[in-house]
Amino acid sequence: MTKNEILHLIAQHTRDIVSGLEAHPFVASDRLADLGANSMDRAEIAMLVQESLNLSVPRIELFGPKNIGELADLFLIKIDAV
Amino acid sequence: MRSEPVVTGIGVLSATGQGKAAFATSLLNGETAFGVMQRPGRQRESAYLGAEIGEIGFSPGITRQTLRAASLSAQAALFVLQEAWIEARLDDVDPHRIGLIVGGSNIQQRELTQVHEAHRDSPAFVRPTYALSFLDSDLCGFCTAQFGIRGLAYTVGGASASGQLAIVQAAQAVLTNQVDVCIALGALMDLSHWECRALRAAGAMGSDRYGNEPARACRPFDRDHDGFIFGESSGAVVIELLESSQRRGLAPYAALRGWGIVMDGNRNPDPSLEGEMQAIQISLDASGWMPAQIDYVNPHGTGSIVGDETELKALQACGLTGVFLNATKSLIGHGLSAAGTVEVIATLLQMQSGRLHPTRNLENPIEREFHWVTDEPIDHQIENALTLSMGFGGINTALCWERHE
Repeated sequence: MTKNEILHLIAQHTRDIVSGLEAHPFVASDRLADLGANSMDRAEIAMLVQESLNLSVPRIELFGPKNIGELADLFLIKIDAV
Repeated sequence: MRSEPVVTGIGVLSATGQGKAAFATSLLNGETAFGVMQRPGRQRESAYLGAEIGEIGFSPGITRQTLRAASLSAQAALFVLQEAWIEARLDDVDPHRIGLIVGGSNIQQRELTQVHEAHRDSPAFVRPTYALSFLDSDLCGFCTAQFGIRGLAYTVGGASASGQLAIVQAAQAVLTNQVDVCIALGALMDLSHWECRALRAAGAMGSDRYGNEPARACRPFDRDHDGFIFGESSGAVVIELLESSQRRGLAPYAALRGWGIVMDGNRNPDPSLEGEMQAIQISLDASGWMPAQIDYVNPHGTGSIVGDETELKALQACGLTGVFLNATKSLIGHGLSAAGTVEVIATLLQMQSGRLHPTRNLENPIEREFHWVTDEPIDHQIENALTLSMGFGGINTALCWERHE
């Protein structure tokens, strides 16, 4: 699993939750809040990505990443740790 | 002049018709849509009969993302509220003066079962949004967000009388000036196979007797009735005082003249003649009506053997034998939480059309004394109607409606 593949998963689930992003070109510096995801949406997106990766990350650690690139990095570290 | 609550908007969804025009047509044509239920989570080693709503025809403005977050009950609520909202021109009302009463409790059972079964072996991945969606009051949050409602919103529960309770609560909200307009929602009861099994085991849901002829299974007031047949439905009625409706130049459907709510002091499903008589009598007294002034009754009429018999005895004892009578549930099934609201809507649409819908499968009425509407619709202008809903736990509700001139 590469960082780009994880970013692709994040984009895919974000489009499922937040309307109006079908044509948005997701980049690592994108912040979910800026894309219109409220706190519930962000928790939902994070959970959907974890399920896709079959990976469970403690909720507290998900507060760290500042954008989707950092979120992808966090998931990448966790995958490698498994 | 006495200030009376009136109905200025209607929205409705059933297996036989989406929206009031289609619904009214299906009622008057006597259409039904019963079959072995197919919705995921409805069957388990079973073949329960019922009437299920097809794909809901939302207006183009509703996004895929909005619907993804909404349960079936919430989606149905969105559809019926939108229809009622437009008809009552609620965009022209201060959102802080609009309220919403959701009738029904424990309405999303199938959705809950689906979540539990999907995550039985992977509980770590249960969706955070389940923290919202498992609550019935999520319909309050979801709908007030969609429509920008800023007055009151809460749920009321009274089993199969919930839909009428919501109307009473909405009427009280406008009569006490908490809001100018209050929408009563009969929420779609989304049964899972668990509730179907228990309702069957309790003897409330009809048997497999007509398993091979689903169209014949739902037979309120017929000699061969043996329980209710479930039918998904939802309805919304907009309630406000006449003066409020006149400010927007609306012509109301009808006025709610009075109501009665009576408990039997009985937790069980069995009905009470005394309780039903009292609810009817209280609603007549509140309306200032003599029994002879009622010309149409929309009964609870589920198809329950003892329920149907008790209800007709209550009508007889209250001097209501001269009325026209049909059974809306024979066409759309029993919507449980939604039934009271949807059947009031059926009453108001019949009032508007000057016709009464047929009753399916009423081949041998258990009591012949009433003016039954059987196979064919008949022309009759309803002037004063009584609508009845009863529920498990000994609740009886009766509402009196007067056609608006």
